[in-house]
Amino acid sequence: MSQTELSIAAGHEVLMEASPYGIEKKKLGMWIFIVSDACTFGAFLFAYGYMRIGAPVWGTPFGVSSVVNGVVMTAVLLSSSLTMLAAVRASQADQKATVNKWLGATMLLGTIFALLHLREWLKLIGEGWRLFANPTGGPAQFGATFFSVTGLHLTHVVTGVIALGFVLRGYNQGRYDQSHVETAGLYWHFVDLVWMFVFPLMYLMNAH
Amino acid sequence: MSSNRELAMSSYVGIGAGLMVIVGIEVILTYQHFPPRTLFFSLLCLACLEAYVAIMYLMHVRYEKPILYWTIFPATLFVLIFLCYLFPDAFRMFSMRLMK
Repeated sequence: MSQTELSIAAGHEVLMEASPYGIEKKKLGMWIFIVSDACTFGAFLFAYGYMRIGAPVWGTPFGVSSVVNGVVMTAVLLSSSLTMLAAVRASQADQKATVNKWLGATMLLGTIFALLHLREWLKLIGEGWRLFANPTGGPAQFGATFFSVTGLHLTHVVTGVIALGFVLRGYNQGRYDQSHVETAGLYWHFVDLVWMFVFPLMYLMNAH
Repeated sequence: MSSNRELAMSSYVGIGAGLMVIVGIEVILTYQHFPPRTLFFSLLCLACLEAYVAIMYLMHVRYEKPILYWTIFPATLFVLIFLCYLFPDAFRMFSMRLMK
């Protein structure tokens, strides 16, 4: 029993100042994490942007098929944001079966996104692109920036799918409530938001 | 907690479709053969528009207390803009004695 619950049980009034933000601690914590993560991605993308614009020669390995693949990945990730919203709505209405369905769909879409991303990586690796190598003989910055930025984003997606799995299990066991689903949803939307920058700047900027 | 003024699920689907339209515009711009600088800033502006919509509606900031918005966004934007402003100075490193 927490100290607050003990105080209530003993008949004492609990004097606690309400959060000025009107949101739960975990959600505020997630916002702070998102801000710090946004700065990390911002630093990566600014570094890439300066190099991309400043370099006289730059590798542009993406053909139409890769751009189409990127658009499909965007659609998959956006759909997963919508299924996440549906899961949050269902958790607020305390509809356990519906939460299971939509969170499961979000995890599935996240996994599909990761697989599509890996397929693109393998295609580039097959063509000879590496973190520090350019198969066309030009500067190697494309591989360095592309694999770093998309790798960081892919790590966030995979981590998100695993985290959603934990939240789903905890929610079904009754350990987690709707606020946990909402907080996980916030993270998932952020991953989607980052992709809105990564796709045009990393894929479309390097299409031929 | 978010307020009860939230949109219906169908409206969120519409927002998702709108975001996909912006992605379509980005793809069209890509094949207009603009100089890298012009294309980069065009795509960055469209990505910022998408991000604004996602933050406001998908991440529900529009339905939270305004203090959350005013605490988080000016500070984050300040850091990001300052990062962008200071980044070119990093190139000075290449001409410093330490690196030779």
